[in-house]
Amino acid sequence: FRFKDSLAEDLQSADLVISHAGAGSCLETLEKGKPLIVVINDKLMDNHQLELARQLHRDGYVLYCNCSTLVETLQSMDLSALKPFPPGQPEKFASFLDKVFELQ
Amino acid sequence: TGGHTTEILRLLSCLSESYSPRHYVLADSDKMSEAKICSFEQKRAETFSKSQFTLDRIPRSREVRQSWISSVVTTLYSILYSLPLTYKRKPDLILCNGPGTCVPVCLSAFLLGLLRIKRTIIVYVESICRVETLSLSGKILYYFSDYFVVQWPDLKKKYPKSVYLGRIV
Repeated sequence: FRFKDSLAEDLQSADLVISHAGAGSCLETLEKGKPLIVVINDKLMDNHQLELARQLHRDGYVLYCNCSTLVETLQSMDLSALKPFPPGQPEKFASFLDKVFELQ
Repeated sequence: TGGHTTEILRLLSCLSESYSPRHYVLADSDKMSEAKICSFEQKRAETFSKSQFTLDRIPRSREVRQSWISSVVTTLYSILYSLPLTYKRKPDLILCNGPGTCVPVCLSAFLLGLLRIKRTIIVYVESICRVETLSLSGKILYYFSDYFVVQWPDLKKKYPKSVYLGRIV
């Protein structure tokens, strides 16, 4: 399983995803509408990576725990409390650029 | 590289054909982005038949966790390397989102602007991963870009000259 090209298929068939805090993993999972528990590695504390996971948790999109609290999180989780993740809006960026170049 | 490429292709997804031809600049050590870009452009060509793009590679300006002093040297080298490329392409717009690769390209364009050779508009979009702090590229290019876009409100507060459009990728 080490380095598959894409986890898309596995993600599609999953009911729950437990992942590290990497942005790519989090966003890909949320975009597929799958419930996500983000596990923070206390020993590998890369603060930059935590920023997004923390924000997603604050906004109610993911559950959040560390290695030692994973089991109790799994036991007490309420996945229905998670909010659906709205997609990003690249069209806003296109509009913005068009205004910069006066293309509208 | 990886995440940056995915993000930037999403940024490009809604742009009209006025933003053409597109010149992609990659780090020489980047193995995966070329495939993603070609696939994006192929799809695009299905809708916009006259769509054009090019791909150039430059030496990577900084490895992850490279020391500060050697980073300055390698970045200077990358700027020198980028100058002829930027001069050749003379872009109207440079769009970048944070990999170390973008700093020398933007600085070389900034230089060409100072020398009145070509005025390029530099638009920097900080990665969606950056919620509370800017990346190193962001901290540098905040001062050199014409438009600096952030995707989270905390950053807009800390960097008031930035543009906040919400999540755009």
